[in-house]
Amino acid sequence: MSPPAPSDLGYVPPDGGWGWAVVFGASISIGFAYTFPKAFTIYFKELRAVYSVSYSQIAWITSIMCATTYGGGPISSILVNRYGSRPVVIFGGLLCGIGMVSAAFCTSILQLYICVGFITGFGLALNLQPSVIIIGKYFLKRRPIANGLAMAGSPVMLCTLAPLNQFLFDNFGWRGSFLILGAILLNCCVAGALFRPIGAATASVKTQATAEGKDALKEKVTKDAMEMSSPVNIPMETETEEEGGKDCCEKINQYLDFSLFKHRGFLIYLIGNVLMFLGFFAPIVFLAPYAKHIGIDEYSAAFLLSILAIVDMIARPTTGIIANSKWVRPRIQYFFSFSIAFNGACHLLCPLASGYTGLVVYSVFFGLAFGMVCAMLFETLMDLVGAARFTSAVGLVTIAECCTILLGPPIGGTLIDTFGDYKYMFIKCGAVMVLAGTFLFIMNYYNYRMLAKEEKERKAKEEDPKSVRTENEGRNNWNKEIVRDGPELEPLREEREGLKKEVNGTNEV
Amino acid sequence: MPAAFSGKRPGRRLLLLCLSLSLSVGSPADPTMTPQDASQSQVNSLTKMQGGLNESTPEPTTTTRTANWQTQGSPSDHLTLGHNVSIPALLRPDLTTQEFKQAAKENVSNVTFVEYEVLLPGVSGTSVEKNITLDSAAGIELSCRLDNKYSHLKSLQVTWKRGNETIRHINKTENSWSIQLWILDNSKLGSYSCTLKGEEEISAVFLLQVPKIEGREKPIISYEGDTAVMICKSFGYTPIAWTWYMTNGSEQIAINDSLLADKYVINRISASVTHLKILKLTKEDDGVYWCEAAFELGKSKGKLQLKVLSLMVPLKPFLAIVAEVVILVTIVFLYEIYSKKKEKRAGDEKEFDQVEQLKSEESNGLENSSARHRRV
Repeated sequence: MSPPAPSDLGYVPPDGGWGWAVVFGASISIGFAYTFPKAFTIYFKELRAVYSVSYSQIAWITSIMCATTYGGGPISSILVNRYGSRPVVIFGGLLCGIGMVSAAFCTSILQLYICVGFITGFGLALNLQPSVIIIGKYFLKRRPIANGLAMAGSPVMLCTLAPLNQFLFDNFGWRGSFLILGAILLNCCVAGALFRPIGAATASVKTQATAEGKDALKEKVTKDAMEMSSPVNIPMETETEEEGGKDCCEKINQYLDFSLFKHRGFLIYLIGNVLMFLGFFAPIVFLAPYAKHIGIDEYSAAFLLSILAIVDMIARPTTGIIANSKWVRPRIQYFFSFSIAFNGACHLLCPLASGYTGLVVYSVFFGLAFGMVCAMLFETLMDLVGAARFTSAVGLVTIAECCTILLGPPIGGTLIDTFGDYKYMFIKCGAVMVLAGTFLFIMNYYNYRMLAKEEKERKAKEEDPKSVRTENEGRNNWNKEIVRDGPELEPLREEREGLKKEVNGTNEV
Repeated sequence: MPAAFSGKRPGRRLLLLCLSLSLSVGSPADPTMTPQDASQSQVNSLTKMQGGLNESTPEPTTTTRTANWQTQGSPSDHLTLGHNVSIPALLRPDLTTQEFKQAAKENVSNVTFVEYEVLLPGVSGTSVEKNITLDSAAGIELSCRLDNKYSHLKSLQVTWKRGNETIRHINKTENSWSIQLWILDNSKLGSYSCTLKGEEEISAVFLLQVPKIEGREKPIISYEGDTAVMICKSFGYTPIAWTWYMTNGSEQIAINDSLLADKYVINRISASVTHLKILKLTKEDDGVYWCEAAFELGKSKGKLQLKVLSLMVPLKPFLAIVAEVVILVTIVFLYEIYSKKKEKRAGDEKEFDQVEQLKSEESNGLENSSARHRRV
């Protein structure tokens, strides 16, 4: 009988060491990807004047950029599956830089759409997904903390990019600013350089160097005598290489795992998130205009957004730490649903906020809720599908979310224009998010129960007579378990040691 | 043209309308409309209404727009006008038909009568100041009102002045006094004050001026060979004409875009916005520009500054940052190669040691077994 795999990756993630450098790089990449479109709006006024176009035509630039960043997810996933994170991020950084530098020499609005919208947007897409993916490869036990820290890059970058953009614009005009922004975006290449490839092949090299590898070394020496080799040494490039007989579907699945659509957890996550994003970004877009509408001056309204960003910055790593605690980690999906519903409740209560103090309180709670949701956004997906399939999952999820993310603010805007009052927009956003949170809560309860049932069934099967199995058979079963979806098991010194003992046991034959 | 009318002339006729306006603040996507601007634009729209002079209309009705500024305590305390505007319909029997005809003859067919009221603080020593913006000829009523709670103050002497000239006022109600003015040209603009002398002196000043033009405080940055667009806006008011000036030394030279059509293009985008586009920029185009709006009652200027840079200016930070990126990437890769070598070396050493150890164990074992063998 074969022990369950330590993680479905095929190796034990380091959970530290170089991982923290990877987290730092990921926070830079993620920060650029999420905040660049927002910080870009400073140039709108000038561009409108120079090209004599309307506000909505200019706003298309950031819409195209956002759409390409999210829509380019699957392509990003395919490339990461094929080449790994590092080359993709470096290429993405170069693409962003090229896009912005060529935008500095544009002479028409169409060229801006292409250079800033498509090229830079696609470059950001090639930055965002691999950064999130590689965290799952480097962390398992401390993954929520790593995710929280990496996602904290977004508000930090916003706080620095926005004033920086203003400074560049005041000193260099818009063309000079685009040129310099292109150079700044090249820093994504530095982040990409930090993403050292890690996989079972490289991990096994590492373990040989450690004390635990002594047994494995014994293995090496006596390999000829023994037919079996330690599971650790099995090169696991991709799961599919172990599976024989590739047919067409499997070949596509090798690049982008469409079989995820049969995965119960994935579908729950997809539906819940698609629903949530309808109401996620609109309140941020309309917070400052709402403040001005109820009579607050422009600077105080902008200050509300700063409060939001600062609270967000603190909330994300904190949420990561909380989500990593032993009480929350097994039930992280409930925590996620709770934070979405909390977010929705904030929006529902916002119309009751009167005056500046009320809005400040709202901003604080909104920042908190926003940070909580963002920190756990990818962690919960990793938790549901496992780190190996996460690569494809994140691509599929982002392209599905792309539509609702883009629809959210315009729908809010239409509500505001129709009713002339902001409260309907807040009520709509709040209602959608509370609904999404409740949906996720109920469905995840169901999912947890189903998973527990499946676990029990599997254990029951394993307790069948196992003596006659050869190691090869054991190996095949172990591969199948990797392919099968399942929740992340608690990682696993004990299991690793169990593996070791078994190796020892068979050695001493 | 007399600037004051006493309130007791009967039978004046004016053509008046009764309106009620609901102010709607601008759309959320449009950050340029503040409530103040919105109200100004409403005033403007009213003043544009044709008061068709039809002498056969029986009843004169006044278009009166009451803009209430309530000040309590601090003089600079404005209440946003968002919700405080109401248009009562009032009959104004104070203009005689003759004076009306006279006004009509003086080509003021677009004139409507607008009331501006100030609530005086009871505290003496404080002076309240109100800015009133006028772009075209209008009839103005300025009134000072004393709050009811101060009505115990007796024997108040009220004077309306403009500079040193006293203007006859009318006693509108028990606690308010007003003057009526026809502002028809630039000379009538300025500051008008009402002073209440009792035991203490309370005063308020109305500052009548043409609309201010907004230029840009921060300089516009552009590059050689590029195109620069400069925008001037007059919020809510429509100028009769726009003129652009370039500063040459200390002189201001008007820009003639028909003369230099391939260099300057002046576009009037909308009634209150003008664009000056300067093509093929050179270093000489660097400097201060003025946009001047001509209103019926005067002119108003806005200042803009243009800076023309060469492409080398942003290139330096660009190259610096690119160099930094290249250096960092190199450092990271070198560190990785170094640490891999170190690991490999450590791993090799360990492997070597362990292989040695195993070999020695094996040889021991073999010796033992052979020894055993021999014994047997």
